[in-house]
Amino acid sequence: MRRDATELAGGDAHVRLYHVSKSYLAGQLALRDVTLEIAKSEFVFLTGPSGAGKTTLLRLLFAAERPSEGQALVLGRNVGRLPESAIPALRRRIGVVFQDFKLLPRRTVEENVRIALDVVGVPPREARARAFAMLKQVGLQHRRHQRPLALSGGEQQRVAIARALVNEPDLLLADEPTGNLDPDLTLEILELISGAAARGTTVVVATHDQSILQRYRRRTLRLEAGVLSEVHPGPGPRP
Amino acid sequence: MTRGLRSAGLRARTWVAAALRGVAASPLPSLLTALTVAVTLALGGAFFLLLANLEGVLERVGRELGVSAYLAPELTPEEVAELAARARALPGVAAVEHVTREEAAVRFAAGAPERAGWLEALGESPLPASLELTLAPGERTGEATRAVAEALRALPGVEDVAADDDWVDGYARTLALLRGVGAVLGAVLAGATVLLVGSTIRLAVYARRDEIEILSLVGASRSFIALPFLIEGALLGAAGGAAALAGLSAGFRAVEAGFGAGLAFLLGTSPPVFLSPGESLLLVATGAGLGLVGAAGSLLGGMRAGGAQA
Repeated sequence: MRRDATELAGGDAHVRLYHVSKSYLAGQLALRDVTLEIAKSEFVFLTGPSGAGKTTLLRLLFAAERPSEGQALVLGRNVGRLPESAIPALRRRIGVVFQDFKLLPRRTVEENVRIALDVVGVPPREARARAFAMLKQVGLQHRRHQRPLALSGGEQQRVAIARALVNEPDLLLADEPTGNLDPDLTLEILELISGAAARGTTVVVATHDQSILQRYRRRTLRLEAGVLSEVHPGPGPRP
Repeated sequence: MTRGLRSAGLRARTWVAAALRGVAASPLPSLLTALTVAVTLALGGAFFLLLANLEGVLERVGRELGVSAYLAPELTPEEVAELAARARALPGVAAVEHVTREEAAVRFAAGAPERAGWLEALGESPLPASLELTLAPGERTGEATRAVAEALRALPGVEDVAADDDWVDGYARTLALLRGVGAVLGAVLAGATVLLVGSTIRLAVYARRDEIEILSLVGASRSFIALPFLIEGALLGAAGGAAALAGLSAGFRAVEAGFGAGLAFLLGTSPPVFLSPGESLLLVATGAGLGLVGAAGSLLGGMRAGGAQA
């Protein structure tokens, strides 16, 4: 899927990549000449086999990596030229969900969610109220004083999603968010993520789970050996 | 309170809470660090106390050292007064005292009981009148003493000059040595404290690398991540400083109670002095400052390893 850069410059996109390549070692490209546009409020699946470059692409989108070549515009900021000091401000507009949840085991569920509010200076009382509301949204308000390890895998992922969404981000990135979950919990998590997209958040979900792609008719981007191609969604229910 | 101040206050509370959580998360290493810092600062504080008390003694000794100009017997009181004025005007001279022949005899006799008999046997006191010059504290060097002695010798009416230049040199050397030892010891102990707190904070950064990574992912700035560690370092240092102060105070009281007579002999009429409230506060603040420096140093490398760049 190659488009002209000037064509990509128009529209209301939250993510624009122009001929982006990423290499970690000389001659070994994790991403090869990737050009892509994701519109505001769009829900996009990113698929491909392990090691295809999905995580690298997501890491580029939250500025944990910089492109070796090309331009990556995320929420209007050029990741390649973003000064180190400007990265936190960009990340406050991005929610990230990981397969391994990345929760703090010694903090309560509520504290894990509040971390995202603390860093932007939300007053404690308001932070508590917002964290409670967010946990209620993911159905975990009754477990807010427990530690993550006392929760099931699905519940832990819901906490991670609550943390990612509590700041009402413009962009939600999920890297194999259902990788450790059984099919019922997978649907539960994807419903939560779809809900965020319905409320206007741009969503990118990386997954290699074909059953998810078949169930949800969404725009799907496929990465293979760092090369991006677009897969047209087949017939099926839309979330 | 303005909104900005309230916001800063809330953030400070968040950081202090995070720092205290960090201390609570590793109580034994934190306690050991604070205690070791306490021992280090107590050693430095003890030397400072010793130095402060000895400097008092040396200052009194220094006041008694100086230059004596022995006057010709035929000088009139007016000539003596003029000589005294000229001596007082010499560079480095802080005070001039005129000692008459009678006063010299009394002083001599006061040194030992049999001396009064010697003076009586002589009929007339052979001791000359003199001018005794005290040098300003900054001028108590052998070189300055010799310069004043030379200048006095050139004055008419001065028959002889006695200078304590060797003693003055010894006094200056002793003070310089004590201060030098103090500076070296202080630097070594400060370095040890910085390294110690730095190591503890580096371990804390490593132990909390997951937290650092997550904070970084949700958009925490480097300063937001670093401040709790800096506060933790300062708290450990301050706790060490406070413990050192308590230990020094207890030790000082014990020495005062157990070795009062020895101290009186060593220090003369001056009672031993402990740290003033300002110096006590400075000791605690020094602990906090060194802890802060140690933490800052370790954060430079530690946070990268901990994932702040994620």
